[in-house]
Amino acid sequence: MSLEPNFTTDGGDWVCARCNVPLEQIKVQALYMHSAFDVFLPRCPSCGLTLIPRTLAEGKMAEVEALLEDK
Amino acid sequence: MLEQSQLHAIEARCTQEAAPRCRTSCPLDMDVRAFLEHLAADRPREGRKLLERHLPLPAVLTAVCDHPCENACLRRDLGGSLAVSALERYCMKAVPEQSRPLIRPPKGQKLAVLGAGLAGLTAAFDISHKGFAVTLFHENTREDALLAAFPSLDRALPEAELKALEKFHVSFVSASLDEALLERCTEEYSAVFVDASCCAFAPSREETESATLLWRGNICCGGWESLTPTGAHFASASAQAGEGRKAGITLQRIMTGVSLVASREGEERKDRLHTPLDGVQPEARVLPAGESYTAEEARREASRCIRCACMQCVKECPFLQKYKEFPRVYARKLYNNASVVRGTRTANVIMNGCALCGQCEAICPEHFSMADLCLHSRRDAVERDVMPVSAHEFALEDMAQASGPEASFFVEDPALAAQGGHGATMFFPGCQLAASRGEQVLAMYRFLREKLPGGVSLHSSCCGIPAHWAGREALFASHAETLRTVWEQAGRPEILTACSSCMTALSLALPEASVVSLWEKLDNMLTGPISCSAPDVMNVQDPCGARHNEAWRNAVRSLAAKAGIRVEEARRTGEESACCGYGGLVWNAQPDVADAMAEKRAGEFSHPVLTSCIMCHDRFAEKSESLHLFDILPPTAGKAVTSTPPGLSARRAGRMALKEAALEEFLGIRPEHRHDEEPILLRIPDEVRQNMEKRYILRQDVVTAIAGIEESGAKFLNRENGHFLGSWRPRNVTFWVEYTVDDDGGFTLVNAWCHRMVVPGAIQPATKVIMEERVHA
Repeated sequence: MSLEPNFTTDGGDWVCARCNVPLEQIKVQALYMHSAFDVFLPRCPSCGLTLIPRTLAEGKMAEVEALLEDK
Repeated sequence: MLEQSQLHAIEARCTQEAAPRCRTSCPLDMDVRAFLEHLAADRPREGRKLLERHLPLPAVLTAVCDHPCENACLRRDLGGSLAVSALERYCMKAVPEQSRPLIRPPKGQKLAVLGAGLAGLTAAFDISHKGFAVTLFHENTREDALLAAFPSLDRALPEAELKALEKFHVSFVSASLDEALLERCTEEYSAVFVDASCCAFAPSREETESATLLWRGNICCGGWESLTPTGAHFASASAQAGEGRKAGITLQRIMTGVSLVASREGEERKDRLHTPLDGVQPEARVLPAGESYTAEEARREASRCIRCACMQCVKECPFLQKYKEFPRVYARKLYNNASVVRGTRTANVIMNGCALCGQCEAICPEHFSMADLCLHSRRDAVERDVMPVSAHEFALEDMAQASGPEASFFVEDPALAAQGGHGATMFFPGCQLAASRGEQVLAMYRFLREKLPGGVSLHSSCCGIPAHWAGREALFASHAETLRTVWEQAGRPEILTACSSCMTALSLALPEASVVSLWEKLDNMLTGPISCSAPDVMNVQDPCGARHNEAWRNAVRSLAAKAGIRVEEARRTGEESACCGYGGLVWNAQPDVADAMAEKRAGEFSHPVLTSCIMCHDRFAEKSESLHLFDILPPTAGKAVTSTPPGLSARRAGRMALKEAALEEFLGIRPEHRHDEEPILLRIPDEVRQNMEKRYILRQDVVTAIAGIEESGAKFLNRENGHFLGSWRPRNVTFWVEYTVDDDGGFTLVNAWCHRMVVPGAIQPATKVIMEERVHA
């Protein structure tokens, strides 16, 4: 079970409001129910604040959550 | 977890897989329903394959069969039984032979058959097709016995089929069928069959074992004549062939040294399938214009088959329909689901999709209870810690709010409180009435205090039914203890409740307490006519909690009558009432199923509906005109601020508002902060609010999220439109809020979503706690 590796924002020109720098696709680990997945997400290269777009949260992520809950 | 024997007992209650009457009445177990289905679908070749699979000597048998299936057919009084026999003959004629059974090399053992009647030939046919050599002794020519028993039989048919038998190592020997031959055969052959229609020395049917047709030693017998109801003797082709087949099984077991009786229950022809005939229109039998059916006539006649099936519960329940099976299969799937040690539990959705409403049990002729099965499975999953967390989490949080310090309260009757006295009655409105109709709860409480002798206290809390429904027995028990403490401190009063689920839960939690429905009490109190502006004719929705509570249902109708409402009963009312979709927390676990339930039930009303459960009302309100009893009864009518059902956030706010109002009115306590004072000014457009509801995101979550994000500054900015985006994880869920900052310093929510997965860097200050999950990763 693996997530598609790369998820960008749902559109728009997003920056980290605190650091005022554009976001970069950076590998992070998503964790749920004793499982971990590597996934590329838009992240602030300076402070590490990571964005989870709505389409990912309600799409693939929700699917994987449901799957893991049934494991 | 269920024992396998328990599973079998549960499965046995669902008869959907049981054979239809046409099949149970056939001694040869012919799958008549499937045969007719093939013909109706213009698949005569498939039909013939079935005949060849089920029947010995299919050409002979279909020509002479006395078709008991037609007597058993449920179409009999609805246009006439299906013409099965004529359709079988049509199929044999219209379609060439379809199967080529494998001719096996003969095994060591040999069978002797005495007599070439239909029973003897069936035994020879079945045994020879299993690979045993058979010697068939007959008198005269080998077709004579058949032609004597069935004079109308065309000689060409047995000639062809008996010749075909020779290939299967059946040798025909002309001999005198007497006891000397029998004695010789018992010694020379492994087993012997005596056809009673051809052998004068054969025993009577009563002299053989009925389950095996064993006469003595290695000899079986069959092929007796049958009696008509008036006592006339006749040769029943189906009965004789059936005896040949039954004896054939015994003979094979004798030859292979297997128990003669073990695992033969399937041969018992029991009618177990319940087939409802409501709505089946009479349709006359299609008669062939010529001597036999044409393809089109046969198709039309076969199409009259009503395809006997039960499915009574499935027809009524969107949950049972969703997974396209019936309770027997669901029971098996849930059993298998519980047996999964490692792997995906694919049937979790089944146990959590049930409203536990009990309608199927009420409708089912065998009283199969999906509720018992699903609740048992949920408890088992909770106990083994494999229950999907998200299924009931929101509902259980709601229960915690309703029974926690934010919303729960107890008020002793103010007139008695000063002297330390206790009200004889406790009004327990239930957490959803408190959430939805706070003003009316207070109005009803004032009325009860005024009218009921002995004083009335007020307890607003959750009854604990969500924990019960979620299978969380420990939580239910601890909640029951909390309720008990309040009840005992209140002087063990009689409890008046306005919610049928509360009644169920309180009866479980406080079995020694007297729990009475508010409607019964009001029906006794309001003796005269009630003036109200309700519609003249209404349907009544009986809540699933009152399915077995006749007093509740009668009181509702009596109050309606006093209000001048003529109640027209909807279909499936009273004990068979359908759920609105709130029951069993299905609204939380599977909102699509819950919505389908509300939709289906609302569609069954032909008039505005009167409800006695606020959740029924709130779930129907969007789909049809609905009134709650509080809307027509004098103490509460017109006292609701709005009859529009509140959303999830507003429900919580409603409970808090009720608590504030009650404490202020009866105890003179004013809150330091009112529940609707928020740390930020937040605007949520209606469309966004509706999306939040679907995602179980509360206004309070958004307020806390934006306040926290603004304080920490950890947020994103969309430079195209100036929207901010940040996240907040107060518990097992991360909430994302996209918002704008308004000129007046307030905020407008643009969108909100959530997920359960943890992504470091995507969460606010609670990060440290959450990161502990990594230890397990």
